[in-house]
Amino acid sequence: MTAIRIENLSKTYRDGWRRTAVAALRNLSLEVKEGEIFGFLGPNGAGKTTTIHLLLDLLRPTSGSAHIFDQPAGDAMVRRRLGYLPESVNLPDYHSGRSLLEFYAALNGMPRPTRAGRIDELLKLLKLDEAAARRVTKFSKGMLQRLGFAQALLHEPDLIVLDEPTSSLDPVGRKEFRDILLELKRQGKTVFISSHILSEVESVCDRVAILSKGELVRIGTLQELSAPKSVKLIVRSVREALLEALAATTAEISLARGEATIKCPDDATRATVEKLLTEHQVGIERTEVETQSLEDIFFSAIASKKEP
Amino acid sequence: MKTTLLIAVDSIRALLHQRLLLGLMLIALAMIAIFSVVLIGQRKFVTQVVIDESVANAPASENSEGKADADAHAGAAKTKSPASERHLSKEDQQKLAEQMDQMASMFQAAFYQMASFGGSLVSLFIFSTAVATEIRKGTIRITLTKPVSRNQYLLGKYLGGIAVMAGYALIASAAIMLFARFARLELSPAMKFAPWLMFCRQLMLGSLAMLLSLYIHPFLASVLAFFAGNGLYSKYNPLFYILPSYSGFNVFRQMLQGSLVSGKDVLLLSLYALDFIIVMMLLAWWRFRTKELV
Repeated sequence: MTAIRIENLSKTYRDGWRRTAVAALRNLSLEVKEGEIFGFLGPNGAGKTTTIHLLLDLLRPTSGSAHIFDQPAGDAMVRRRLGYLPESVNLPDYHSGRSLLEFYAALNGMPRPTRAGRIDELLKLLKLDEAAARRVTKFSKGMLQRLGFAQALLHEPDLIVLDEPTSSLDPVGRKEFRDILLELKRQGKTVFISSHILSEVESVCDRVAILSKGELVRIGTLQELSAPKSVKLIVRSVREALLEALAATTAEISLARGEATIKCPDDATRATVEKLLTEHQVGIERTEVETQSLEDIFFSAIASKKEP
Repeated sequence: MKTTLLIAVDSIRALLHQRLLLGLMLIALAMIAIFSVVLIGQRKFVTQVVIDESVANAPASENSEGKADADAHAGAAKTKSPASERHLSKEDQQKLAEQMDQMASMFQAAFYQMASFGGSLVSLFIFSTAVATEIRKGTIRITLTKPVSRNQYLLGKYLGGIAVMAGYALIASAAIMLFARFARLELSPAMKFAPWLMFCRQLMLGSLAMLLSLYIHPFLASVLAFFAGNGLYSKYNPLFYILPSYSGFNVFRQMLQGSLVSGKDVLLLSLYALDFIIVMMLLAWWRFRTKELV
C-alpha cells in the first residue's frame, strides 16, 4: 500500500484585483511508500507547502488528486493515521501546553486512560515537561515547534507530514529531532518531510523529490540521483609519450610524489584513458570515484529547470 | 457528535478567554449596579415629591394636630421613605404606585434595550470571529488535520457560540429580575418572553455574521449583519422581503407600556428565527466546504 499517492496535481491561484493566474503547482505525480522517509525539497516558492496543503485538504486542487493510504485526501477518518506539523506553528493561545495536547488527543479519538501517559511521554521526549502548565502564549518559537511536533506524534500516526520542521530549532534541537526521525523509521512509520536544510534530509531520507517552479524535476534515492561526478585513476611511472597522448583527451592530469592522478569527467574519457594506459603498458594503482552530494544534486536539478 | 461537542466546548473556552468579551460582560455588570443605585435614588426622590405635594395640599383649616401629623409625615419621609408611604392618603398612595409602575416599566424597558444591544454586539463579535479568526491566525490548520470534518467543525463553532449566547441571555434576564427585586419593582408582563426573543434575535444576527465572515473581514461582516434588517425599507421595496426582520423580536414598546406579548406571536417569531438560522447555516456550510483555509 502507498502512504501517499499524488496524481497530476495542479494548483493555480488567482492573485490581485485583476485575478491574474499564478500556477503554484503543475501536474505533480509521486508516490511515497509505507515505511519510508521521503524528503521533499525545493527553493522558496517551489510549491512544497502548496503540495502539503493540497494533501491535507486545506486547499482545493485545480486538477488532479491526492490520496492518503488509498483514501481521498479529504476523508476525515483517514486523518486518524496522519500527524502534521505546519511550517509556522500557530496554536490556540488560550490553552496550556498540556491542555492543548489533551484537546488534540480527544479529537484524535484517543481513549481517556491512555492520554495522560502518552502526553507525559511526549512532553518529556521533547523537553517540554517543565513548561507543560504554561500558557502557549508564553512559549518561545522553538518550544512552539516542539509542541507542534508533540501534537503531530501524539496519536502515534502511521504517516507524519512535516513542513520545515527544524526551522526554529537550535543545533541541539535539530540533532534530537533527527534522532526522533530515525526512531520513527525504526518503528516503520512513514515520514514526509519538506525542508530547506539539505544535510538534514540527506542524513535521514530514503528517497527525495526535488521541486522547482511548481514542477517535479527529480525523484529517487540518493544513489539513483547522484551520478558519478568524476573518476580518478592513480598510476605510477608516467612517460612523456603517455602524457602527450593524455593531453589530447579531456582528462586532467596532476603529478605528485611520483604518482599521476588522471581525473576523468565522464565515462567516455575514462574509456579512452584506460585504452591509452593499456597501450603504454601502465597499470592502474587505484581508482577513486567522486559522487555528488545532495547539495550538488539539488543545485544541478534547479539549474536544469532554469535552462530554457 | 462527540467531535462536534469537543469543538463546541473548545470554542466556549476560547470565547471565555477573549478580553473583549469579558470586558463587555463586566460593563454589563457595572451597568446593573449603576442602574440599581440610580433607580433607588429616583424612587426616594419620587416618594419625597409625592409626600411633599401631599403635605402642601393638606387643608389649611386643619388643626395644629393635623399640621403636626403632616410634619411627622415629612420628617419620616426624610429618614425612611417606605414607612412614610404608609402614612399617605389612599389617593396619594395610588398616585405614587402609578408613578412607580411607570418608572418600573421605563427602567426595565431601558434595561432590556441595553441588554439586547449589548447582546447583539457580543453575538456579532462571537459569530463573526469564530471561524474567520481561526483561518486568519492559521490555528484551524492543525485542527482540521485531525479526524474532524468541516461540517463538524462549523457546527461545533456554532454550538459554542449558541452556548455562550444562552449564558448571556440567562445572565441578562437574571440581572433584570434581580434588579427589579432589589428595587422592589413589579416585573413587566413582557419580561416573560423578552429574554427568549432577545436570544433568538441575537442568534439570527450571529448566523448572518458567521456566513458573511466566510466571505469578508469579520468586522465588515458584523457591520453588514447589524444593518441588514428590513426595518429601513418600506413594504413596497423588494429588500423588505429579502432581508431579515429583527423588529418583531424587540419588545421594548410592550415593556414600556407594560403590555403582554402573546404566546402565538412568540411561537411564530421563534419559527421565523429557526427558519432563518437554518438557511444561514446551510449557506455557511456550502461556502465552508470548499473554502480554502490557507
